[in-house]
Amino acid sequence: MNIQFPPSGCATIFEGFDWATSPLGLQSSWPPELKTLTSVMLGSLQPMLIVWGPEQTTLYNDGYAAMCGNRHPAAFGGSFQSLWHDIWDQVEPIISAAYSGQGTSMDDIEFTMHRNGYPEETHFAFSYTPVRDPWGSVLGMFCACTETTSEVRARRVQDDLKERFMQVFELSQGGIAMLAGKDHVFEYANEEYYAMIGVGREIIGKTVADAVPEVIRQGFIGILDGVFATGDPFVAKNLPVKLNRGPEGEEQNRLIDLVYQPTRSAEGCITGILVQARDVTALRAEEKHRELLAYELGHRLKNQLAMVQAIASQTLRYAPDMQTARKNLSDRVAVLSRSHDAIIEGGTGHSRVGDLVAQMTAIHDSPDHPRILVAGPNMTIGSRPALSLSLILHELATNAVKYGALSAPDGRVMLTWRVGGPYRDRFKLEWKETGGPPVAKPEKEGTGSRLIRAGLNGTADCQLSIDYEADGMRFSISADLAGFQKEH
Amino acid sequence: MALSTKGPLLIVEDDGLIRMDLADTLQDAGYPVLEAANADEAWGILLETDVAALITDIDMPGSMDGLELARRVSDRWPDCRIIVISGRYNPDPAKLPADATFLTKPVGETELFKALEAHGLAA
Repeated sequence: MNIQFPPSGCATIFEGFDWATSPLGLQSSWPPELKTLTSVMLGSLQPMLIVWGPEQTTLYNDGYAAMCGNRHPAAFGGSFQSLWHDIWDQVEPIISAAYSGQGTSMDDIEFTMHRNGYPEETHFAFSYTPVRDPWGSVLGMFCACTETTSEVRARRVQDDLKERFMQVFELSQGGIAMLAGKDHVFEYANEEYYAMIGVGREIIGKTVADAVPEVIRQGFIGILDGVFATGDPFVAKNLPVKLNRGPEGEEQNRLIDLVYQPTRSAEGCITGILVQARDVTALRAEEKHRELLAYELGHRLKNQLAMVQAIASQTLRYAPDMQTARKNLSDRVAVLSRSHDAIIEGGTGHSRVGDLVAQMTAIHDSPDHPRILVAGPNMTIGSRPALSLSLILHELATNAVKYGALSAPDGRVMLTWRVGGPYRDRFKLEWKETGGPPVAKPEKEGTGSRLIRAGLNGTADCQLSIDYEADGMRFSISADLAGFQKEH
Repeated sequence: MALSTKGPLLIVEDDGLIRMDLADTLQDAGYPVLEAANADEAWGILLETDVAALITDIDMPGSMDGLELARRVSDRWPDCRIIVISGRYNPDPAKLPADATFLTKPVGETELFKALEAHGLAA
């Protein structure tokens, strides 16, 4: 019998094969099963393989030859073991099973094939079927393969997509968890979710009630039940929640933004709930702090504007003429501004007495020929008394230059300050002029002395005295140290 | 200047400069004025003098702040008009006596006189 096959590699080899040297013998001696199967195999476009006889002689078609790579054509008509010698430990159990009468099917075997001119990953499903004679003895094995490359690729794309979605979940800034079923069983939770409920808690596979029991009495299970039953999402912001998330599992109060959304099957049935939660505790605290800071700044600004308003009003009210008023007001505002610089430089909202005094001498004294002699500790002073003290020193110096000791060539000012009082709880400052023209109490009080008389802002008990002594004016302040140094 | 008041205005303000200028402003307008540097000092004055209106700051050192002072004055002398002035933002209205006026610091003269007029205390 001569069977005509379409001209192809394996059919040609089959035709020209020296069967006499093969364990299979001449074709004429072959059993009908083998004849039929070879005919089916060589005629099929589907990859097929026959392993026959105790020697496991191997025959295959062109489809299968492609999987054999460069082992074809040498492998045609050889033993199955010599074809797959390198993976024999995997192949042997399957072929042996087939020879002992047991078929096997494999869903996914990967080959690198060159059928399109380049190496290409391919996937096949195999089934090894024992072939028996009419009496039931196994003669050999027949294998048909189905290429599954496109299915595998499609599945991989899907898996990749799923993997990417999972990555998105993992990278999300918010906590994400997926709950399944009406009992809300945790299927998945990202790192952020664990960080929120407490790192190291085991929740996957458990119901929310079992995994995070502290939320039961806070009503969250009821909310989940509602979302699952109605399909209406639940959205809340700044929701207070107690979570046993401390290092020892202790309860902590947190604020969270929370969304529960139902997830649905392809048929539209609710299958679970997607939880999105963001711990906003730190965020809200920071916002509140900023608000407080802005409020405090506003408060200070208003108080300082009120002070400027009063100084402007006082300056204009008692000025002899417009030009004097303009100059005095400009100088006084400049003093406040410099004093404010010292407060800012102090960093913590207060400045130092020595720095304020230095600001005054820089304006009213000459470094080469100092006439204001200063002595005192560079102690801290709160921001409100600092503004007052700067203004008082400025008014004293201005007055001394105009009418007092500093108006005469040999005049001097001795400026001293210290902590005093029987309980060391008073700030005491003294300004004593000498060497100036004879002094007398002015008939009409000017703005300068009124500003001095206003005292130290922020102190609870500020006593001032101005004495017109024979050798020069003496001014002294005594104020409670607590108010003097308190940050307002 | 004829005044429709039943007594002087009491200014309670711990900032000496602001208190001094407020007093000048009101005196120039013809109001008799008393001054106190804190709520405790103000209370001492109130016990001895019939005051037509209390004009008080809120944040001050001492045993009570301006809000507390305003509440006590309102309880004890219901006829005394009350104006609260503060650099703090509007306080909780519940903390202010019912007919008190709140003015934010710094207060303009026009605004101040308008508030006094509204309380029947035109200069």
